[in-house]
Amino acid sequence: MKRPALDVNGLTGPAAAPAVFDVSLSVAPGCTTIVLGPIHSGKTLVLRHLVGLEEALHGTITVDGESFSACGETEAVLRRMRTRVGVVFQGAALITRLSALENVELPLLEHTNATAAEARDAAGALLRDVGLAPLDPAVTPSQLDRAVQRRVALARALALRPPVLLLDEPTQGFDPHAAAQLDETLARLQDANGFGLVIFSHDVRYAFGRADQLYVIADGAIIEHGPPDAIRESDNEVVHRLLNRRGAA
Amino acid sequence: MTAVSGETPRPYAGAAGSAPPARTSGLIAATSGRFISRGRLAISASYWVAWLSFSRRTAIGTGIQREFEGLGLGALRLVCAASLLVGLIAIFQIAYQLSAYGAEMMSVRAIGWFTARELGPVGVALMIVARSAAGIAGELASMRANGEIDALRAMGLDPVKYLVAPKLAALLVAVPALTILSDALITFGGWLGSTFILKFSTSFFLDQYRVAFELRDLVIGLAKSILFAFLIVIVAADEGLNAESRVAAIGEATTRAVVYAVIGVLGVDTVVNAIFYFIPVLA
Repeated sequence: MKRPALDVNGLTGPAAAPAVFDVSLSVAPGCTTIVLGPIHSGKTLVLRHLVGLEEALHGTITVDGESFSACGETEAVLRRMRTRVGVVFQGAALITRLSALENVELPLLEHTNATAAEARDAAGALLRDVGLAPLDPAVTPSQLDRAVQRRVALARALALRPPVLLLDEPTQGFDPHAAAQLDETLARLQDANGFGLVIFSHDVRYAFGRADQLYVIADGAIIEHGPPDAIRESDNEVVHRLLNRRGAA
Repeated sequence: MTAVSGETPRPYAGAAGSAPPARTSGLIAATSGRFISRGRLAISASYWVAWLSFSRRTAIGTGIQREFEGLGLGALRLVCAASLLVGLIAIFQIAYQLSAYGAEMMSVRAIGWFTARELGPVGVALMIVARSAAGIAGELASMRANGEIDALRAMGLDPVKYLVAPKLAALLVAVPALTILSDALITFGGWLGSTFILKFSTSFFLDQYRVAFELRDLVIGLAKSILFAFLIVIVAADEGLNAESRVAAIGEATTRAVVYAVIGVLGVDTVVNAIFYFIPVLA
């Protein structure tokens, strides 16, 4: 049996004022796991813990077999963890003072021995992989539309070939066609690279159509998890309310 | 019960033995927290500036050049225009004050005394505060609101290295350079005023200036300008990096950065002057 790409155990945090409680989830390589919950249910907070942006009260995070504590790790350890977890934030969060191409080059220049020329070539290849035509090196993120920005952020997140990729509300603000295109790209990249994919979303219809495994989160706690068919059959009242409100099932 | 008795609560009177009010302890905690945060940032930024000096990474190098153009060369017009005017204002004001004692001629010496040591470095520092401290704090606060700072950290990159160190490196070079330029233009403004309005000859101006000016003044002025550059970047960057992640916080961070940087520059200048006053051998 293959080891999980990501294994989260008993995550409670942030340390200062806990708002997610005892979150545990497991993501197999090449599989898509969706953490589904309404807005303000704690999805983004879980994601922030997974990349060390919040310090937890307790919990462990295991990435491709390597375990990290979710609280009190040194910057050097956090840095190693972050190189193994790719993340695409909700608003893309590209560095606006750099060009779009430089955004993709940045992790390569920082974490590998690539020269500037090699990093540029690799960044160009990554942008092609995510379905973008070659970009003018001077183009800044603000000159790109939202869908392209999200793809550049995806290329940046995949630059170090992480075993796990986190996406926060990847299709929010997209029309159905653009959302489907991004989804196709993700599926193709996942097939090619085998990374475990964790999507944090409030979109029930999207989640049920896309997930191999679903985790339903409410008020900071995982209240149900399993394959989409099993979640549909759940007798948990909160899950029922979520499904009925969104009309997914 | 206040509402029943109709008495208004008495404000805290500072009575001995009573607990200090929460507001005061909160203020002390906030102030000490700010100093700790700036101290950490100063150490981290200094480390990365030293690292940058030996790095051949082009992405970072381009960052310093970009910052130098934006923060240093961009301030050139402001510093030139303001310095010339400060020179004219200074010569007129000093000559006017000294005319009551028939000592207008001393106004040229006063320009020589104050320019390199005070007017140039402090004037440039305040101009950089107005222009760049606001810009630095606003840029970093807006990056924080857009999630860019979090994105950098999530990639395992230190925001201080990528965002603060290049600005610090650029201003550590630009502020002393602008100070030298400002010293020259204040002196030129003084010469314009003394020659064309006060009707002193150029040779008189040069003689008087030579008597008053000492190379040590220039060195002390430049040393102060380096301190000011360091302080401005650290204060502004700290305000920007610690701004809340909301759009309204950008303006608040910018305002705080300007206020604290102005107070910081004048505070450091006061301390330096006090040291020279009380330990004359250093002056």
